[in-house]
Amino acid sequence: MTPALGRALILLALLLSTVGSTVAFASGRRPTAAGLRWTRRFAYAFAAAIAAANAVMLYALLAHDFSVSYVAHVGSRAVPTWVSFVSLWSSLEGSILFWGLVLGAYVAAATWALRDDHPEYMPYATGVWLATAAFFCFLLAGPAQPFATQSPVPADGPGPNPLLQNHVLMAIHPPCLYLGYVGMTIPFGLACAALLAGRLGHGFLRPLRTWLLLPWIFLTMAVVLGGWWAYEVLGWGGYWAWDPVENASLLPWLTATAALHSALLSERKGVLKGWTVTLVLGSFLLTILGTFMTRSGVFNSVHSFTQSAIGPTILAFLAAATIFSVLLLALRIDRLAPEGQLVNGPGRDALFLLNNLVFVLFTFTVLIGTVFPLVVEAVNGAQMSVGRPYFDRMAVPLGAALLFLMGVGPALPWGRATSEQVRRALLPPTGAGLGLAGLGFLLGARSPWTLLTLFFGGYTAYVTFVELWLPVRQRMRSGEGIVEAFAEAQLRRGRRRFGGYVVHAGATIVIVSIAVSSTMGVSKEVQLREGERFDLGAYSLTFVKAESVAEPHRNAVVARVGVSRNGRELGEMTPRMNQYDSQREPIGTPAVRTFLTEDLYLSVMNIDPERGTLGLLAMINPMVGWIWIATGIMALGGVIALVPQRTAAASRPAPLAVPAASGAAAEGSR
Amino acid sequence: MRAASWGALLLALAGLALAQTPSDDPRGVVGPPRGQPLQGAALETRTKQVAALLRCPVCQGLSVADSPSPTAQNMKAHVRELVAAGYDQDQILAYFERSYGEFVRLEPARRGVNWLVWIAPVAGLLLGVGVVLFALRSPKPAPTAAAGVDPLSLPEDPRLAAYMLKVRELAYGWPGGVPPRPESR
Amino acid sequence: MNRRVLVAGALVVLPLLAVLVMNLGRDPHSIRSPLIGRPAPPFELRPVGGGGPRSLASLRGKPVVLNFWATWCMPCLEEHAALTAGARRYEPGVQFLGIVYDDEEARATSFLKQRGSSYPSLMDEGGRTAIVYGVAGVPETYFIDASGKVVSKYAGPLSPEVLAALVREAGGAS
Repeated sequence: MTPALGRALILLALLLSTVGSTVAFASGRRPTAAGLRWTRRFAYAFAAAIAAANAVMLYALLAHDFSVSYVAHVGSRAVPTWVSFVSLWSSLEGSILFWGLVLGAYVAAATWALRDDHPEYMPYATGVWLATAAFFCFLLAGPAQPFATQSPVPADGPGPNPLLQNHVLMAIHPPCLYLGYVGMTIPFGLACAALLAGRLGHGFLRPLRTWLLLPWIFLTMAVVLGGWWAYEVLGWGGYWAWDPVENASLLPWLTATAALHSALLSERKGVLKGWTVTLVLGSFLLTILGTFMTRSGVFNSVHSFTQSAIGPTILAFLAAATIFSVLLLALRIDRLAPEGQLVNGPGRDALFLLNNLVFVLFTFTVLIGTVFPLVVEAVNGAQMSVGRPYFDRMAVPLGAALLFLMGVGPALPWGRATSEQVRRALLPPTGAGLGLAGLGFLLGARSPWTLLTLFFGGYTAYVTFVELWLPVRQRMRSGEGIVEAFAEAQLRRGRRRFGGYVVHAGATIVIVSIAVSSTMGVSKEVQLREGERFDLGAYSLTFVKAESVAEPHRNAVVARVGVSRNGRELGEMTPRMNQYDSQREPIGTPAVRTFLTEDLYLSVMNIDPERGTLGLLAMINPMVGWIWIATGIMALGGVIALVPQRTAAASRPAPLAVPAASGAAAEGSR
Repeated sequence: MRAASWGALLLALAGLALAQTPSDDPRGVVGPPRGQPLQGAALETRTKQVAALLRCPVCQGLSVADSPSPTAQNMKAHVRELVAAGYDQDQILAYFERSYGEFVRLEPARRGVNWLVWIAPVAGLLLGVGVVLFALRSPKPAPTAAAGVDPLSLPEDPRLAAYMLKVRELAYGWPGGVPPRPESR
Repeated sequence: MNRRVLVAGALVVLPLLAVLVMNLGRDPHSIRSPLIGRPAPPFELRPVGGGGPRSLASLRGKPVVLNFWATWCMPCLEEHAALTAGARRYEPGVQFLGIVYDDEEARATSFLKQRGSSYPSLMDEGGRTAIVYGVAGVPETYFIDASGKVVSKYAGPLSPEVLAALVREAGGAS
């Protein structure tokens, strides 16, 4: 019964999205009040149908209904309830179903938020959203059916991949990633609407920017959460390996960030509208490419789902969407004529362009590197790799360039600056830059890139702090207290600006922390017997004992390691080696202890409880904790910038009563 | 005696000639060591450096330096031996490439088609700078006042916008205040 | 129609799509061995349980089936029966050899005593021979023809049918 219900709901969602998309596009060409209303209704109805399908799947997972094929693949009676819950997105079909849920929620939310505005754009936007939704419903109804009937019904299932069961981030990272990824559909629809309608007015740039910022916040968190998860779970001590699936999550983030900056210029000066729209379209298309990379099995990745018929289908959609976007741009971009002019010369305008250049170059480089092995194999059959050393080499100067631009850009005034202004703006922060670089040097930094990054970091931190402080000081001059000045200047009036600089502050810390953690860490691999100890930096580590632990779904050998720092006892850390029934090779779980400026990271290489031996990898990773914290700061900045200003948040216009105005208006227009 | 030593020499030469195939002895594959033998901390650092450029053939997502699998551990130990014997990085990478294929190099070797992936970012940079300069330099005609104002755009304030729509409806008869066929700017 | 945008878009999009289409169906995890078609790397290793060293060169003149295995590897246990039977079937025309990968001699000895063996297995000190052969994991089997050239490599447990086919390909008559 349950599988049939699920299938019916998916078919219903497919029907609603297909018909709704048609109605919406028709409404766009010939707008009527009824057409707009029905467009919205279809949007809400689709969201409801797909949400219901997800609810049915959740119920089936939690109730262990193995007649549903997806539950038979990933469900298990032996796993904790939260694992059953997150199994919704742990494997291919379920993840597409979850994609549909998030898309439905976004479409409903955007439709509702923009229900009274922009009637010349909204039908087109809704049409694009529902067309995308129709594709995913098609996947669910065809190649990636989660609700096929499993017959005979098994008594139990294998449970999800063990690597997905041993950390709480499994519950957080995928939903966050989907909220970011899927959310890019909304600005894509808005941008297509602008192109289809043939213009991009100032009033429409606002919602475009807002609905680009919202998924951006989630995507920022998701990319870094993925790294954090890898760091805590995999045991090699790093957080980013430039794996194709990791790159897939990064690519749309890069273009979306570029688009946010370009949109700022478009709103402020009315320029680069076509370029902003292009970046927004690109961000969405990169999410579809990312989905293809993850689910097609074509790319060599540790994260990929197994290959299935879904790959070619997604590729077909990618091709269609991309060709549609290029054609639409070619046909309509000239109508998005600029209302102002970019100023040539040193000033913030030029720096915004450089910002976009670096982000697009970064995107291009990561994309080429990820796809290159496929190119070579297609050309001459050779199997080669483009791995971490290549990407690190490319990313370092690009990251440093971004940090530099974050410092110089806000320091310079808008428009063309005189050399005197330039000098006055750019000179003072160098002191802070030299200070931070000097501090790094004293603490042991020797790599030239690290020192350069530290210099830029200090520079940018100074500039960002000044930008955050100046409006407050301005208000304080007229007698306000600091708290009131802060609240008024930054929180009530200048939220977008304030949020932006908070994001910059977070990003500065992230880049500096990445540079420091990559080059200033130390590590040691030792073979120990029980009772032996060794030193690493300020820490003294003693291998106490190896213990075998039996848990319901796995057997583990735990290494108890006593830790002390500068003589002070800090307790025990317990890295372990887990043997899951379903996996041939054992999987290690590292032990991580975070201090203010560094992490102590222990990973088991080999362990034998009978002989009492342990092969331990011990690392000190400086500043890693700050990467996670600073990403939270970036997200917070985004949220601050997202909250609409008071004027726009004012009451929705009441239905207008314009009783005898028809006569009066006719009179007045003469 | 002399015949035997000539015979040995001939055999050695024949062995060198057959040095197409990988063998236990790296000399046969990559020639004598080109660098200095290392030991102690320098040895460990260099080993880690070179191992970080080799791909673990088992886990495939990690380098030999990072991977916990036994294959990687063996490869790393072999790298350490080679570094200690004085082989330089290129030789060691070539040695492993003989056995595992080009796949095992994490950084694309700079030869043949692979040059594309090294040049592409630089080419992209040059192209991008060119585009930026073009965007900043091209003298656009000053936009006229008419082009500056979108006749169909609505004010930001939603209440004003609602009134605008109503006015358009009254003035032009557009349903909902929206023109039946949106004109181009 | 903005020609520049159209051309730029086409230049970016079409090659990317083409590359993706051409790679559909490829399995990125199966890496071809560079040894195929080249002379098999020489080795000289000690048999499990003692005895004089055996070299590959001494087997020149007949096809060789070289199987890398370990006692801790489940699929190796699976294919052991097929290999043992195969050796009995094809010898003396074809020589079967095992190389123990990353394991202890004592365990290998007791395993072979328990399960029986019809061909010698050799100990690979430090895994050097495995590295030279490009072994990524076990079980992996190399099929070498009578002239000493590697004809094929099979990764994974061998079934009798696959074994027969690959032995035939290497020139071993049944």
